[in-house]
Amino acid sequence: MVMITYIEPNGSEQQIDVPEGWSLMQAALSNGVEGIEGECGGSCACATCHCYVDDTWAERLPAAADNELEMLDNVAAERRPTSRLSCQIKASADLAGMVVRLPDVQS
Amino acid sequence: MFSFDPYAPAVDADPFPFYKTLRDEHPCFWSKEANMWVLSRYADIVTALNDWQTFSSAKGNLMTELPNRAGATLGTTDPPRHDRLRGLVQHAFMRRNLMNLVEPIKQIARDTAAPLADLQQFDFIEDFSSKFTVRVLFAALGLPLGDETQVRDKAVLMVQSDPRTRAKGPEHIAAYNWMQEYASGVIAERRAHPKDDLISHFSQAEIDGDRLDEREVLLTTTTLIMAGIESLGGFMAMFALNMADYADARRQCVANPALLEDAVEESLRFNTSAQRFRRCLTRDHTLHGQTMREGDFVCLAYGSGNRDERQFPNPDVYDITRKPKGHLGFGGSVHACLGTTIARISVKAAMEAFHEVVPDYRRVQEQLPWMPSSTFRSPLRLELARV
Repeated sequence: MVMITYIEPNGSEQQIDVPEGWSLMQAALSNGVEGIEGECGGSCACATCHCYVDDTWAERLPAAADNELEMLDNVAAERRPTSRLSCQIKASADLAGMVVRLPDVQS
Repeated sequence: MFSFDPYAPAVDADPFPFYKTLRDEHPCFWSKEANMWVLSRYADIVTALNDWQTFSSAKGNLMTELPNRAGATLGTTDPPRHDRLRGLVQHAFMRRNLMNLVEPIKQIARDTAAPLADLQQFDFIEDFSSKFTVRVLFAALGLPLGDETQVRDKAVLMVQSDPRTRAKGPEHIAAYNWMQEYASGVIAERRAHPKDDLISHFSQAEIDGDRLDEREVLLTTTTLIMAGIESLGGFMAMFALNMADYADARRQCVANPALLEDAVEESLRFNTSAQRFRRCLTRDHTLHGQTMREGDFVCLAYGSGNRDERQFPNPDVYDITRKPKGHLGFGGSVHACLGTTIARISVKAAMEAFHEVVPDYRRVQEQLPWMPSSTFRSPLRLELARV
């Protein structure tokens, strides 16, 4: 299990033990995180699982692939340098303690 | 001695007691009848969906696969080939690119529902949902009108399997071959006279300068037609069944059609038509004390994961206020259904129009004739009567 902290737009925090290999989007949906929609189910096709990865973690993640970068053009909230799609981030031991903030809107 | 035979008519009729035994007592079960492992718990299915490197789709994803199809469609390829193939088609299925279909879909729904005004009793599938789904698909893909009934009948037949031989029968293969011929004709027509539509783009597409091979173009188009008609139609029948059986939920949806969105999500969880898909192991994998071997097939029983009390409290209760995020009604991860958005738009539009004409109804048949299919679950007829 990998502990990830999700911070909702209203500031409330939820710490979730995410099974290794699960996407952060899937873990959020399965644990009732409100600020993630994940309409497409995790196939990188809808841009409704947008999150901001805290600076210290953003540079430690594998770089976004081309399809994620293209889909990030479609996010509803402000796109920032730390914007990622949570369906494309897989939980692994080296991400333990990571913090992701969720945008005001997803669609 | 417990057994689980996804070809058995008893499983078609009511798989849920079998699923509960699987989850509680045999969470990694070898089904000798299906010749594959069965994963039934929500968490195990999600883990498998996320681990496509181990749980490969390249040997086919239907429980009973169609010949020569694996490796040439979205559902039967792994990344990176899958991602590039998907990149060619998925923009057409994104919400913002579907918005111009919303009004035409609503109009199709109203037109299809109108003749029901004169009927006291009818078959929801023959008289409404099959007409609606085929017209929506033809509109979405820009297919030429004229063959709708035959296309629909073949799409429904090709996903079935023979419960006795546990294989595709000659009639199913014939339907599949017919659909390939039909798709081939459409592709040839679009290449000769390209339009600004999905099949025109797809049939001329290249991936990284590498043109798609004919089998990929043909079988992906065939699969899109099959899924658009059969999967959408199957789910609509299940949704109407729930609305008939759960009168309180129906009355709430009729009074406030905005609630249909929540009811659709709960139906996708509760008894979605896409019950089981399969994967093939690329390496040995041990789970719950069982070692599955490289090359073994594994059934991911979405319909069971959606009833897993470890994930969904009171899972056997149909509750349209549940908002079951993360359900497996569309699968998940890289192979999540391409049609999630158009399916949601279509079912809501269809049922809203249907409820305007038929607001109060009940199911007529006590026992439903279930489609023989190891992958999908929906009735062949669903007779409804006004109350």
